[in-house]
Amino acid sequence: MRKNIYLVLSVLMVLGLILTACGGTTATPTETTAPTEPVTGPATLKIYLLDYTPATIEWLKSEINPAFEAAHPGVTVEITEGTWSGWDTTFSGFFAAGEGPDIINLGSEMNTLYGESLADMDPYLGEAAWPEITNFGPALENAKYDGKIRGLPIFTAPRYVFCRTDIMEAGGWTTGTPKNFAEWVDFADKFSIVDPATNSLVQQALVPVDAASMADWQWWLLVFYSLGGELYKEDGTPNFDSPEALATTQFMLDMRQATYGPASDAVGTLPTGQGSVIDRDDATGKDNGAVCLAHSGWAAPAFDRPIWESISIDPFYGDSPNFPESQPVVLGFNDWLAVPEYSQNKQLAADWLKLALSKEGDNKWCETMGLIPARNDSQYGFVVESPQLKREAELAAQYGIGFAGIKESAKLSTIMQDALGKLITEELTPEEVVAKIQEEYSDALK
Amino acid sequence: MPDNPYINLLVTAALTVLFIIGTSYGLGALARAIVRARGGTPKHQQNTFAGYFFAAPWIIGFLIFVAVPLGLSLYWSFTDYRVTFTHAPNWVGLENYIHLITKDSGFRASIVNTLYYTIIGLPLQMGVALLLAVLLNQKMKGERVFRMAFYLPVVLGFNAAVLLVWRLMLNTGTGIINQIIRSISTSVPAIGYVVRAEIYVHEVINAFFLGITNGNFNLLHKVIETGFPAANRVPLWVQSPLWSKMPIVLLMVWGCGTMMLIFLAGLNNIPRELQEAAEVDGASSWQRFWKISFPLLSPYIFYNLIVGLISTLQIFEPIYVLYRDNQPLVPSAISMVYYLWQKTFSHFEIGYGSAISWVIMIIILIITLIQFRLQNRWVTYDIY
Repeated sequence: MRKNIYLVLSVLMVLGLILTACGGTTATPTETTAPTEPVTGPATLKIYLLDYTPATIEWLKSEINPAFEAAHPGVTVEITEGTWSGWDTTFSGFFAAGEGPDIINLGSEMNTLYGESLADMDPYLGEAAWPEITNFGPALENAKYDGKIRGLPIFTAPRYVFCRTDIMEAGGWTTGTPKNFAEWVDFADKFSIVDPATNSLVQQALVPVDAASMADWQWWLLVFYSLGGELYKEDGTPNFDSPEALATTQFMLDMRQATYGPASDAVGTLPTGQGSVIDRDDATGKDNGAVCLAHSGWAAPAFDRPIWESISIDPFYGDSPNFPESQPVVLGFNDWLAVPEYSQNKQLAADWLKLALSKEGDNKWCETMGLIPARNDSQYGFVVESPQLKREAELAAQYGIGFAGIKESAKLSTIMQDALGKLITEELTPEEVVAKIQEEYSDALK
Repeated sequence: MPDNPYINLLVTAALTVLFIIGTSYGLGALARAIVRARGGTPKHQQNTFAGYFFAAPWIIGFLIFVAVPLGLSLYWSFTDYRVTFTHAPNWVGLENYIHLITKDSGFRASIVNTLYYTIIGLPLQMGVALLLAVLLNQKMKGERVFRMAFYLPVVLGFNAAVLLVWRLMLNTGTGIINQIIRSISTSVPAIGYVVRAEIYVHEVINAFFLGITNGNFNLLHKVIETGFPAANRVPLWVQSPLWSKMPIVLLMVWGCGTMMLIFLAGLNNIPRELQEAAEVDGASSWQRFWKISFPLLSPYIFYNLIVGLISTLQIFEPIYVLYRDNQPLVPSAISMVYYLWQKTFSHFEIGYGSAISWVIMIIILIITLIQFRLQNRWVTYDIY
């Protein structure tokens, strides 16, 4: 009997394995051609969005989708809401199965990560098919892979330097946002306050992305670009062995030490509070602890907060005394909507994108988020009426550098976070950190 | 397929049922045919058919959801395969395994961290579970409430609310845990001294572990050089790489409810006469526990050890929950399975991830086999 069981199980297992091994799991890209007739008939257009406000979703569901469905009889639009936390696992599942939403929400650096699996949308969204595409600003580059359009950008969310001028002036700092590395380190030293009773910060001069380590890879790249640094050399190899990379890493360490002291001091972070770190608590009248914030607009106070009277918005200026190629930088992040290669509804997806990201659509979408529309002709109304957004849009236009074109971005993030983590604990020197990143990233690109 | 999602669902469900019935019948018939070919009696053939027919749903489920994925992952582990590839996986032979074992410092770090959780976290988890079980075994008022309270973390799991609460509690400056430590240290200086000593020992141990993962001991030298912590020092729970592993251990201990229940069942199974006889002979409660309860609990300890070991070697959730959006701390806390997840779902290297999963399986298998071999030396089954 036992022999029979083994026999049956073995036969089935071998059969199963043979059958599965024979079946392909990945879709072969097909030549994309744009149909000439508008698509109608029973179909469901599935859209996967990440972390949008309830106002955005409500607007899409009450205005955009009904209008789209009316223009495409028999088509239903289905929006699924996800979050940036764990999105990669979800998207892996879609691509592995070759089945999933027709439109997915991506970040700016993800065009290189997913590019090969995204549809060539040139036949649907290229200038010949849709002349309005010329209205999209530089953000459109982030929605391309291999020179082909893969979707459309929604908004631009650059990283600015927001500073509390009232705290700076009260502390005797009258020259505004620091303009070079030496000024920043001096500023961090003067305006970071540690409470001896708790051995924790009660005021932090600069809060970049990841306030605790002050060494997040995105913040590193912003500083690096401000020195005129290029991520890749002419031959395509990484450029972490450049003087700009070393200076950026040294700056990270100097700022961290000017704020927290040496690692051996083991100073605690700012307390977790309500609202933006550069805002003031209405109930207690106390400041939330940060003097400057290097972040996207969404980490700054809401536009209707009274504190804006005392907040300046600037780019990060680089370090012109030591690096003449320095340039003011705001690092531009985009959210964009891509059409995966596996989608069977590419025409419908393109039609929906054209509708939702029309001149009016992009304006409305971004209004619900308080962000700058990716389309140049959508930058009217709330964009120019809000002094903060107006200033942000001007800076983005003048100093914007896209957070894009990063090869193997997920791997680079892991490599950099590992090395920069060892910088702040002073396990590795800045020289060792850049050497480690250069070696590991070069290996990752092979 | 019809476009209506409800009809779609019904059709899919109906097709699934049909598939299960069809394949079950097929499996039963195949088994019967084999028995018939081997000259089995009609009764034997009938029984074989019935047996396989009813067992088939599980067997088919096992084949589809376990055996086939296992086979595929084994195949992929010998290939260069990424989710985003539009072409078939490239066969690379043993390259993934060789790179993983000889060159991948990240995987080496994840093994050392997992070892930390196993050596430090698991004994603590089991110790606390045993202590709670012994306490709850004393017949007292409100016993059920306490049992429920200590088991509650298992039910709650590691969801977003739990994460938020733990992060708030572990905040260096204002978290409740450090507030309590500060308050006690200030009011009783002797305890403050002990706390600082504990901080020092903890940081030395963690700097040592980080040194192993990094291949240099700069940090350990720095910690020793800095010397005994200042009076205002508190743990930097979710802030410093020197402390990033301890919150994981705390979460492990917090979730010890299942182990506690098993110990409690074990304690209840110990014959009361043995305790009473020892009491009559003048044994103290400590002697009764150490000489009677503890040895007789050894099968339960062994069970918890094996299950705990396997689960600790596969630890993922607490690290994901605490550090997924605190990237700088991930390298110092990363476990083998988190590394597997990172490679597979963040870097999309399915082939390499598959190789990692097989290496992890072999590591777990070896450690578990060693445990089983060693059980004869300390596990007592005599009373049972």
